[in-house]
Amino acid sequence: MTAMTAAPARPRAPRAASAAPLTAARLLRIELRRNAMPWVLPLIAALFWFDSYRPSTGQPPFYLLRTFWNMGQGHTIIDFGPFVAGVAAWMGSRDGRRRTRDLVTVVPRARYTAQLATWAATAIWAVGAYLVCVGVMFAVYAHQGVAGEPPWWWVAVGATAVAAFSAAGFAVGVFFSSRFAAPLAAFAGFFAMAESSQTGFRDSGGWALILPTNSNGNFQPDSGIFYRYLPDLPIARLMFLGGIAVAALGLLGLPAWAGGPRLRRAAAVITVAGVAATGTAVGLASTARLSPHGIVIPALHDAASDQPIRYAPVCGRAAGVPVCLNPAYRPYLADVTAALAPALREVSGLPGAPVRVSQVGALYDYSNGVGSEAMTITGHPPLLSLPLGATLGTLPGPTGDPGPDGRHHHRASATGAFDQTLGLLFAHAFVGAGNRAGTPAQQAVQASLMQGMGIPLAAQPSVLNFGPPSWAPAGKSASGPVYVAARRLTALGPAARQAWLATHLTALRSGQLTLGQLP
Amino acid sequence: MTTAGVHRSAPVAGRRPARPALAVLRLPWLYLVSRRVPAALGLIAALGVLLWASLHWHWNVAGGPAAQEFISLAIETGAAAVVAVTTYGPFGEPERAAGRWLPYLRLGAALALTAAAFGALAAAAAAGATGGTAGAAGAAGAAAGGLAGGTLAMLRNLAGIVGTGLLTAAAAGGAFGWVGPMAYLLVTEVALAGTTTTPWVWPAHPAHDRGAAICASLVYAAGVAVITVRGARNSGRDPAPE
Repeated sequence: MTAMTAAPARPRAPRAASAAPLTAARLLRIELRRNAMPWVLPLIAALFWFDSYRPSTGQPPFYLLRTFWNMGQGHTIIDFGPFVAGVAAWMGSRDGRRRTRDLVTVVPRARYTAQLATWAATAIWAVGAYLVCVGVMFAVYAHQGVAGEPPWWWVAVGATAVAAFSAAGFAVGVFFSSRFAAPLAAFAGFFAMAESSQTGFRDSGGWALILPTNSNGNFQPDSGIFYRYLPDLPIARLMFLGGIAVAALGLLGLPAWAGGPRLRRAAAVITVAGVAATGTAVGLASTARLSPHGIVIPALHDAASDQPIRYAPVCGRAAGVPVCLNPAYRPYLADVTAALAPALREVSGLPGAPVRVSQVGALYDYSNGVGSEAMTITGHPPLLSLPLGATLGTLPGPTGDPGPDGRHHHRASATGAFDQTLGLLFAHAFVGAGNRAGTPAQQAVQASLMQGMGIPLAAQPSVLNFGPPSWAPAGKSASGPVYVAARRLTALGPAARQAWLATHLTALRSGQLTLGQLP
Repeated sequence: MTTAGVHRSAPVAGRRPARPALAVLRLPWLYLVSRRVPAALGLIAALGVLLWASLHWHWNVAGGPAAQEFISLAIETGAAAVVAVTTYGPFGEPERAAGRWLPYLRLGAALALTAAAFGALAAAAAAGATGGTAGAAGAAGAAAGGLAGGTLAMLRNLAGIVGTGLLTAAAAGGAFGWVGPMAYLLVTEVALAGTTTTPWVWPAHPAHDRGAAICASLVYAAGVAVITVRGARNSGRDPAPE
């Protein structure tokens, strides 16, 4: 010992400036090679196909519908997150399980740095696999002709969520070095997702919007087709999930064995920054409000996001009237013209009969929910505005759902519902009932017009269920004074009814007519 | 190092142990400790408390049957994952070469832990049901209090999911035995959300469904058999996640 202390210190060799990054890169490469994550990725990919891709193929070919289940409701995160957390916990607990913590502590490189390299390798595998899976899914969608814009912001949220799961799981492994760390982290991940879903389904506003499986308000009926997916909520979720990841990684540097005082102070700052980002994101989500195009967070909102998506319409003709749709709805043009033709023929020649039909972006209405929105007839010459996205639930045509024979099928049952829904919405707009049920006289004329379109009175109560709920509940049978008046009006015959409508349409639309004034 | 401090001779081979009963229990005890079974029992008890809390306070995911069963099914899956992970052995080949009692120990541990998990969860379900506003008691009350299918369905679900865990442990290693139950949970949730009829998704079937019970029993029996005869995959013997 004496000899050692008396010996002159050996001069330290000067380090090349590039040595540190090179060593870090080498360490990362070793960690990537020795990581357990690739072992689980085939299973995750299979679950991704089963849980995220497969159910989405039953939806009509629009990105917003195909991705609502897997992105909007966070199923891609559920497929990846818990497993990534479990494997990350396994990697984080490595030193503790192998009793090499002391051994690793005495090496020149701070243990915190080595742990970050292990985590980075785990996260690179996980996030990379997530992006590959989503990329392949979108490529398949594109091959199938799915229309609209992909929800890129939600892809970023998913990737950040996977990184957050890996960081949180890794921290569990570091602080709970046991064989049970992995299942515990995975179980906690599943449970957190379950609680997130529970709260998300229950709370449609406030702080709960920050939860990654809360689908309220994030996808609107025509997002990515007529207007953009608003980035406000995704940005807040990126902050939230990124904050969790940063805070979890910061925690690793706090214990004494992590490194020197400077490094531990830096870790403390990182932890505080992560917690602050998470808290800020929750606070921002609390200020969110639902706009027609999605969730708006005033502090994050950019007016440029409200700009509509430009497009060149595709047009057809229904009873001689031009019908123009967004090109994303091109597969449904024939169905739309076929459904509108009887309605347009029924009112042909009447004042206020539309001379053009133009699709408009459907908007979400809190009181009516998605899938229900009235048509409007405005301007001179009259233009029928058709929010086709509001009838997504009844859309006919290719659903993209491969049947048992692997071929795509026409939803025959839905086609009838689609025709009837469009007939109802058209008649409702024509009598001027707007967004309400309409006066009894308007309801009677609406019923008579629908019968003229080929929807029998007896079938109309069930058709009315497709209408917005604010239109008053439909009765179970076609009886009562409204239907009595409708039968009287229908009994006049087409020519007499047209003549009566031409005379009284203005009074009918202004709501001044009563049932007794109908012929 | 010298022998200066040693005053007693080494034990003579063949001398009868002072307490034969304790000596018989020593091997199982060492096995259980090496598999961290005491910690596993603690975790299973904690999962029981979680199940009790979920039933007592009516935690429920809104939605269809898949959503409503998710929490109890997730807790059963957690218990199954814990049971599966106990199959991980730290000794590898030496233990396999030297331990002729090993298959019996594996069998006993798997059965005992499954029984312990069922006991803890059933007790929690019964307590949660009686403590909740449903006001029912006992095993039947478990169903009334929110545990779908009652304790019979829970036994079936738990046994089947433990079976998936044991099979995964045999295939991928004991440390990764948890992956099987978690994957099965996810598959079950998707199947429950749809209209599945296959009995292999046994949680989707009523408690008295014979096909579902047979499938769950088969998976459990296969898992126990494989883990008894072969043990969990050893990373020193076969390539497995390290």
